[in-house]
Amino acid sequence: MSDNTLSCAGATFMGVPREKIPWAPTIDYAKCDFCMECDKFCPHQVYERREGDVKLVVAHPEHCVVFCRACAKTCGPDALSFPDKPETIALIKRLREEGSDG
Amino acid sequence: MAERYAVLPCNGLDKAVGSLAREIALAVVEACQGELVCPVLFNNLPAHYAKALELPLIVIDGCGTRCATKLATEHSLKVTRKLQVAEALKLMGESAGDSLTLDAPRLALCRLLAKGLLSAPEEGAATQDEVAFAEPAEYATVTHDKFVFRIPRQGFLFNENHCWAQVAGTRARVGISDYMQQELGDLTFCELPQVGAEIGQFEAAGSVESVKAVSDIISPVSGRVVAVNTAVTESPEIINEDPYGRGWVAELELRDLENERALLLDGEAYLALVRQKAADYRP
Repeated sequence: MSDNTLSCAGATFMGVPREKIPWAPTIDYAKCDFCMECDKFCPHQVYERREGDVKLVVAHPEHCVVFCRACAKTCGPDALSFPDKPETIALIKRLREEGSDG
Repeated sequence: MAERYAVLPCNGLDKAVGSLAREIALAVVEACQGELVCPVLFNNLPAHYAKALELPLIVIDGCGTRCATKLATEHSLKVTRKLQVAEALKLMGESAGDSLTLDAPRLALCRLLAKGLLSAPEEGAATQDEVAFAEPAEYATVTHDKFVFRIPRQGFLFNENHCWAQVAGTRARVGISDYMQQELGDLTFCELPQVGAEIGQFEAAGSVESVKAVSDIISPVSGRVVAVNTAVTESPEIINEDPYGRGWVAELELRDLENERALLLDGEAYLALVRQKAADYRP
């Protein structure tokens, strides 16, 4: 976690529109036991609980704080993964350059 | 003779990492002539361990559920050192395996991890130049309700993950901002990076833990860790008290500051970010 604010339309991270940065957790449903620790932990409403077999989904990836992997530290079965950081940084740099060009 | 410790391990009897946690705990207790604290009995009858817990405490968690840590937190125990087995194995490129009984290689791994827990953390050589990493001369403040967030006007670079770098020559100190420490609340533990480790920009330079949350310290700059502030592992509240000064976490030998600077915020820009965040601040 790094702040309590929810992203809203028009949110940016490092000068880049947040929705252009694909940073969010991926749930490995082969491992997840739906203990909901990640959802209880995350203050940004990234996750949402559902009825049925799949009881938890990444409903709001755009709320996830870029570079934050804190929820993964609460995951007993190690079911959460995140994108590669250096690749994400490279993408943000590229998007910033494109942004400043036009 | 090593210092004696009380050891509170995970009780994950049905998981391989739990078996490892137990074995590591036994090895630590044996090596330091310490006291083993059974999490189940402690939970039921804390008084049984009152004497043992006068010793400094080592907590060993098996997995991310962190049952042992949570138990220590519930009982307001001060944790001196800790290990999370699954995480440690990942870093070593090892696996816990599937079997609940441990074979010889895994027993050897346990002894290695136990030894690591007991060896004194390496501090490295922090710069002794008090002027280079002087406390901020002047703060800007953002006020929201009864909360006041301080931001140094000069000499600090920030990222949007609320961590800072203070640059002096070819080195920088990193730490967390006043905003972040207030948001986390009273810190209960700070994990330092290893001296000698190479850290990339926006990679974790340790982590901080409060009753509320655990959070990586996202380093604004890349570099090799040349020193760590062991004072904050002894007393993590130093970070709450003085996040930009005595609460520094690690000192890095900078690798590529000129390229990295473009992705960072100066005091004024970070002030604007905190203003925006503070408007919606809900502690």
